[in-house]
Amino acid sequence: MADGYDIEAVRQKYIGFETAPVRGRYPVEHDPIRRHCHMVDDNNPLFLDPQYAATTPHGAVLCPHSGWLALYFASLGPWPAVFEPLFPIVPTLGKRIANMGQEVEWFGRIKVGDHLSVRRRIVDVYQKAISLDPEAVWIVAEAIITNQRDETVCVIRNTLLTHRTPEEVAAARGQEEGSPQ
Amino acid sequence: MRRPQPYWKDVEVGQELSGFSLEITPRRVFLNVSGSQDWYPVHFDLSFARKAGHPDLFMSTGFLQAALVRVITDWMGDDGFLRRLRFEMRRQQRPGDTMVCRGRVTAKYESDGQGWIELDVWAENEREGITTPGQAWVILPRQGD
Repeated sequence: MADGYDIEAVRQKYIGFETAPVRGRYPVEHDPIRRHCHMVDDNNPLFLDPQYAATTPHGAVLCPHSGWLALYFASLGPWPAVFEPLFPIVPTLGKRIANMGQEVEWFGRIKVGDHLSVRRRIVDVYQKAISLDPEAVWIVAEAIITNQRDETVCVIRNTLLTHRTPEEVAAARGQEEGSPQ
Repeated sequence: MRRPQPYWKDVEVGQELSGFSLEITPRRVFLNVSGSQDWYPVHFDLSFARKAGHPDLFMSTGFLQAALVRVITDWMGDDGFLRRLRFEMRRQQRPGDTMVCRGRVTAKYESDGQGWIELDVWAENEREGITTPGQAWVILPRQGD
């Protein structure tokens, strides 16, 4: 156990923790959708062209079915433009992160003009070794996205890996080897 | 003119989704940050990525998700509904790679009066093979609905 990190205490304290709902800073807007589509050369007119979208049964431009984008609109947004870890509240050994997987279940469509909110809950926290860090901490969290009518539009389950740098792992190993038995 | 609309009855198990490919160029790395608004430096700062133990930058979860979603929404038409998508970030798409995204129909059934299609979707490259395997569940309209 590095630095007295107690995974069982963390699990007991944080699994099941749920945040209060947060309303997105802005409603669902055209331009973040355009940038999101542009990222992967997605030219779908249902996501980009208001005139085209008006001819469909949806009547308005839709937000692509991306949990990432739904969470963007439901969160406070990158303003000021600093990186905020997805779940800073869970203590971890390392501060480096990588998303390992995501599952998104959709219950409704999101349109331009909708105003989304999110509440998050921690589903699981555990330690599992990776090649970079034998004591990496994994966090499974859900984000429940609702619209302005309090309808749940999607639930996003994200598996986040947190790990130490190789330097930090080596330093911790050195400390353990030098500590009294 | 509306985009072509596939109907549930016309879909066959084994059918391939056409997919697309993207070169992971420096421009695409910047588009990744702009489009995902994911500011974590491992996606654009090589020294940060290397200090964390990675050999190079790599594309973000938001980017890979957008790509897999595009495979599906390009195919399912305006009236299809992507009900569920799950995927794993097993390996990385890095600068210099050509990312290829594809899909295939794996099952077709009716449930709750709706026409469901199950898909395998994935991203791959020549360096790593399949980097991002996924599964999707889509509800397609039935002609006459």
